[in-house]
Amino acid sequence: MSSSRNNGLCVKELEVEYKSGELALGRVDFTLPEHGIYTILGPSGSGKSTLLRAVSGLLLEFRGELLFNGQSLREQDILIGLVPQNYGLLPWKTVKSNIRVAMKIAHPKGQDRRSQEAQIDRWLSAMGIQELADRYPLSLSGGQQQRVAIARAFAIMPSILLLDEPFSALDAITREALQQLFLEHWQANPTTALFVTHDVDEAILLGQKIIVLPSNKRDAPEIIDNGTVFGLEHGEKRSSDAFFAQIKRIRKVMQAKW
Amino acid sequence: MVIKRRLNYISRLLLVFFGMHVVWYALYLLVHHPMLPSPLRVYQAMGQLGVGNIVVNVGYSLMRIFAGVLLALIIGLLIGLLMGRSSLWNKLLDPVVYLTYPVPKIALLPVVMLFFGLGETSKILMIMLILIFQIIISVRDGIKAIPENTYDVLTSIGAGPGQKFWHVTLPGALSVILSTIRISLGTAISVLFFTEIYGTEHGMGFFIMDAWLRLDYPQMYAGILLFSLVGFILFLLVDLLDYRFMKWRK
Repeated sequence: MSSSRNNGLCVKELEVEYKSGELALGRVDFTLPEHGIYTILGPSGSGKSTLLRAVSGLLLEFRGELLFNGQSLREQDILIGLVPQNYGLLPWKTVKSNIRVAMKIAHPKGQDRRSQEAQIDRWLSAMGIQELADRYPLSLSGGQQQRVAIARAFAIMPSILLLDEPFSALDAITREALQQLFLEHWQANPTTALFVTHDVDEAILLGQKIIVLPSNKRDAPEIIDNGTVFGLEHGEKRSSDAFFAQIKRIRKVMQAKW
Repeated sequence: MVIKRRLNYISRLLLVFFGMHVVWYALYLLVHHPMLPSPLRVYQAMGQLGVGNIVVNVGYSLMRIFAGVLLALIIGLLIGLLMGRSSLWNKLLDPVVYLTYPVPKIALLPVVMLFFGLGETSKILMIMLILIFQIIISVRDGIKAIPENTYDVLTSIGAGPGQKFWHVTLPGALSVILSTIRISLGTAISVLFFTEIYGTEHGMGFFIMDAWLRLDYPQMYAGILLFSLVGFILFLLVDLLDYRFMKWRK
């Protein structure tokens, strides 16, 4: 897999400081291969969101390098989809026009109107929310809003997909349904993805590798291979031995570093 | 359900409208003096005015209000936007707004007349002056109240400043702009009355004062009613805009 060293998202000695000089994110180093998905697990305040903000281009001051397919991420025209924790929907636009606006901004010279609308409808039905197309976000439940946010993120067909604790505000049952739904559609459209979470189960269910950020920012993050669990059918993951072995392993890392 | 509730509301409005006329008629009987004619007499006077006459006077008043509101909106939006998005401009302009805000704008009428004459300019400027400070402040606060992360998704997919303004800032500030217009519209209409006393032969203010000077009380009251109608139409218009653009809040 020598190609994976160049292809994909390379986070090289990334470090972020607050204006006070305190570390917001301790040094992180990893390469996420193209069409791969890693989860980032860490306690609150460990810099998980900071890492995503740096990759998404919302945060411009950091040390280290961000490369995509060997070239600087910022100097290329790379489309980055973001699913924030608060869903990030514009309350004054309907579900459909939230997606439409994002598509138009992402692809100014893109598809004609009709195929764009077809694309929107396809993603709405993929997320099971066709009937919500003309509703406003404030009239939707958290789970429904998150489905819209995911539909939007997939519909713009980004090169990199960043998810910042997207399911953390949802109840357990909705969360499990959305984890499965997300993974199914990610597998059908494998976008290079970083998934931030503070939930150990979620990190094991959704990542090919798990990057565990330490609470002491001077410590190095631990990168745990999760291929065995990731290769299983989603429905079987939770009851597999490999899943429990991973939980044990991560607990040990957490005891040492959190 | 919605239709029923709306019908209910309209019938209540009509009831109040009718009730006010009953009170008016009772007062007319009580006062029994030409300075308070009966409702019927006033409506007769209104009928004698002729449609052309009414349209010209109401039209002039509406035109002045619209021009003043539009001007205040454009300038207020620009300055409010500047102050809401840049802390440097906010620091510079905040004391200016703070100091000028409490000045009773109507007191500036003679100054505005001196500088801009007795024509349309001074009338429209007065209305603009009444509205603009409130609009600046509410636009600024409305924009500041938009959580910074509302922009994040659009920023990450590469939205430019224009797109962010159009899709986030403007709609986010619109609700405060509308409620500001609603609140200041009353003041703007009162000021309009003052400005129509001088230098014009059109407009509802002129019409009412002209009838008063001629001691033609029925016509004066007819003018007051028409002027109220102008105000009512304007409020209705704001409600309509509110309904159209604020659907998402319900």
